[in-house]
Parts: sequence; structure tokens; C-alpha cells
Amino acid sequence: MSAPVQPQQNQILNALPELERERLFPHLKLVTMPLGMVVYESGAALRHVYFPTNSIVSLLYVMQDGASAEIAVVGNDGVIGVSLFMGGESTPSRAIVQSAGFAYRLTSNRLKQEFNRHGETLHVLLRYTQALITQMAQTAVCNRHHTLDQQLCRWLLLSLDRLSGNHLNMTQELIANMLGVRREGVTDAAGKLQKAGVIRYSRGKITVLDRPKLEQLSCECYAVVKREADRLKVQHSPLN
Amino acid sequence: MQATSRESPANLLLAQLTESARKKVIGHLAPVELRLHDVLCEPGDRIRDVYFPVDSSISLITPGAGRTLLEIGLVGNEGMLGVPLLLGVNTSPLRALVQGAGRAWRLDSATFLRSLESVDGLRATLNRYLYVFLAQLLQTGPCGRFHPVEARLARWLLMTRDRAHSNQFRVTHEFLAYMLGVRRVGVTSAASALQRRKLISYARGNVSLLDVRGLEAAACACYEIDKKIYTKVFRPAGGRGRSGGGRLLASAPVSEITYYA
Repeated sequence: MSAPVQPQQNQILNALPELERERLFPHLKLVTMPLGMVVYESGAALRHVYFPTNSIVSLLYVMQDGASAEIAVVGNDGVIGVSLFMGGESTPSRAIVQSAGFAYRLTSNRLKQEFNRHGETLHVLLRYTQALITQMAQTAVCNRHHTLDQQLCRWLLLSLDRLSGNHLNMTQELIANMLGVRREGVTDAAGKLQKAGVIRYSRGKITVLDRPKLEQLSCECYAVVKREADRLKVQHSPLN
Repeated sequence: MQATSRESPANLLLAQLTESARKKVIGHLAPVELRLHDVLCEPGDRIRDVYFPVDSSISLITPGAGRTLLEIGLVGNEGMLGVPLLLGVNTSPLRALVQGAGRAWRLDSATFLRSLESVDGLRATLNRYLYVFLAQLLQTGPCGRFHPVEARLARWLLMTRDRAHSNQFRVTHEFLAYMLGVRRVGVTSAASALQRRKLISYARGNVSLLDVRGLEAAACACYEIDKKIYTKVFRPAGGRGRSGGGRLLASAPVSEITYYA
């Protein structure tokens, strides 16, 4: 039996002061995020932003030849539609639901209105953007230098951090697209982890059995991204 | 070496400001000479100054030891170094290293932050740059993952040329290996291929671009995509209703305008 979904389950929304919550929360719409749903396509105009509570969305870059590469993972730690508040009306990446769940949706207009007040909402979102930049930079390093096995471990850890519990519902197909490899590669890598007792994987559900081992097998990219994200959450006071 | 003129900034972001807005900030901008391989910021350092390059270029490199680094951004006169400050963060997670020696405007952080509030149009212009910066960052991962070294090297050389405003510059194979995240032997082999195709000449750390059109054809699509994003966001002279902008760009040396024409 799970607790009712509420906006505070998203860390960005949870960080807002009382007054700003009162203004924004009435306009949040709870939406379901089914596995594989394309939240937005690259180049599409952004009409909404999404604040996941227990869903996970992958940001992908789709190349001209159709191959895709991972850019970042967004869950209850963030918001989807970051380009919006930089004055970009659209985004060059595709956002796809990697793990089903819920999110709160807000229209772009409402969010822009709130930004223009230059209150805490703006600051929280800007700091999140910095965390996202670090994640994107480290993902680029990871894609360039590290093995598929390591990348899979990193990705599982990042996803787990954005969910409660140690289960992930996702398909090998989606993971393969995201890591820019063939499905067989993911099957192999997942198989190895299962053999080593690190995960149990059956019918689209991954259960992490040995988290410390998973961290050991991952490359340092996971730690780099986590450290920066944690640091930015703590830094609350605006710059002077 | 010609002195940096205080009348025309020759950094495209500063050039976007109206005459009166620029007057407010120009007194605080210090003209500096950036030397090759100067480290302007280490990962975790507090950001003391922001930089607006004129004809220098600065590489943004991920933290990490040994081989697991990557250049994830290159900042020249189209941009500024100090993006975290725009986001309310006063430390940088990346290393900033001078890739191309040359001139830049330097502004201390405190004045920069005050200027964001008091100088009309600065915040808006820098937000647009933030979008471009992010879009270019998005490009880096897939480029490094999928594109062959030769095409990536061609792209890198063109990007550096754009920012150096010159077809000649210095860079070692070793350095390129770090920037591109490949082994040195990969760089040597890619550079030799570009030489055989008569696109560059490269000896003892000195690169000369011989055939820019040819290099553009050899580069991966990321080069053109980057430029398109920039021109889309910063529509040239006359865009976005800034009457001052058109005249400023017209008064800057031709090489700065054609960069993103």
C-alpha cells in the first residue's frame, strides 16, 4: 500500500517556501507517466514542465542517423523542461519515460510568471540546472571512456536514487536506446550483474540486491554526479 | 599587438548591450592577456572572476584523473566563462584552461553579480547564451560517443579557428588527446589523415588550416549544428529590437562578424 502522491515528493517543489507553494501548487496537475512515453520531442515547443515524483525520465539526443545517446536522467530530484527558463522555447533533446510513475505538470506560462517574480522558485531551478550541467558533462565522459558494464551500473544507481525502494520497472529496449547500444549488449551486461548476485532481473523488473557491490562496479562518474547534486541542494542562500 | 579598444568590446555578448548599458559596465572590465595553458579555474574552486574572451579561447574540462577527462565546452568571443554564477552557484565543477592565448575582458564576480541586476539587458543576453551553452553541451556526449576521431578533430580545429580569428594556432598532440578523450596515437593518426587530405599542415605543435571548406566537409555534423543554434538564438544585427546592437556589430572588425554569419 503506497502513500498518496503529493507535490512535496518532488525535491524542487519541496524546496519552495510556503508563499510560493501557495501560488503554484493549485496549478499543478498530477499526470501518469507510462513507460516509454515521449514527454517531448527534440525541437518541439515546450508547453509544460514536469516534476516527477516517482517516475524517471531520460533525456536523449537523437542523431541524424537515428542512433540515440544519453544526456541525463531526471527524477524526483528535478524538472523536465529546463531550457524553458533560459529563454529557449524548445529543446534539442528528447525526453522519454524510463520508469513508469507519476509527475506534476505545470504550464510553461505559469512557470514563467513565477520566474518573473525572481523569488526562490527561480533560484532553486537555476541551481538544479547547474546540477544537470554537471550530470550532462559527466555523462559525456562516461560515454567516451567507460565500458557498457560500468555505464549500466552508473545508470542503475542514478535511477535508484530517484525512487524509493530498490525496484526499477524498465525494459532492456529502452535501456539499450539510452546507452546507445544494441539490446543484446544490455542483456549481456544485465546477465553478468545477475550472475554476480548484484541484481535480479525478470520480466522488465530489476531488483537491486547488493547496492554496495553495484557502486563498486560503477565508474567514478556516479560519485561525481551525486556529490555535486548533494552539494547544490545544501547551498540555499542566494549569492551576495 | 593592438590594444583592446574600450569603445568596441569585440566580445559578442557584450556587443549585444545597448550603448548606455555598456557604459555602466565598461569601467569595471579589465583587459587581460590570457596565456596558453593558464588554468583559470580548478574543479571546486570559488569563481573569482568572469571572463569575456576577445580572441582567446578557453576549454572547459571535466574533473578527473589521468585519461578520463574530456573537453565539454570551448568558450571564445561568442561567450563567457562563469556560467555557474548565472545559476546562483559560486564554484565551478569544471577546469577552465586557456586553449588559445589572446585577449579577454575580466570582471570580478561581485561586480558581475551586481551588474546582472543593474545593467539593462545583460541578464537576458546571458540567459540566451546559457541556452546555447547547454545545447552545445548536449552535443558533446553523442559526438564523443559516435563520431570518428578524424571528424571530431576537424570540428575542434574549426571551432578553435573561429575563436582565435586566425588560421594558425598552437596545440600539441598530447593536449588534443586530452581534449578529445582519445589516446595520443589516435590524434596523431587523425591529424596525419587531415594532412594527407591537404586540409591542414601540422608540425611541432603549430597547426595551419589550409582548406577551411574542406575541413568543414570533413567535420562531423556537430560543427554546423552548433553554429545554427547560436545564430538562431542570437539573431544577427537588428534582431530582438535592440537598435544599438546593429551599429555595434557593424563597427567590430569583420572577422568577428563572419564567425557566426
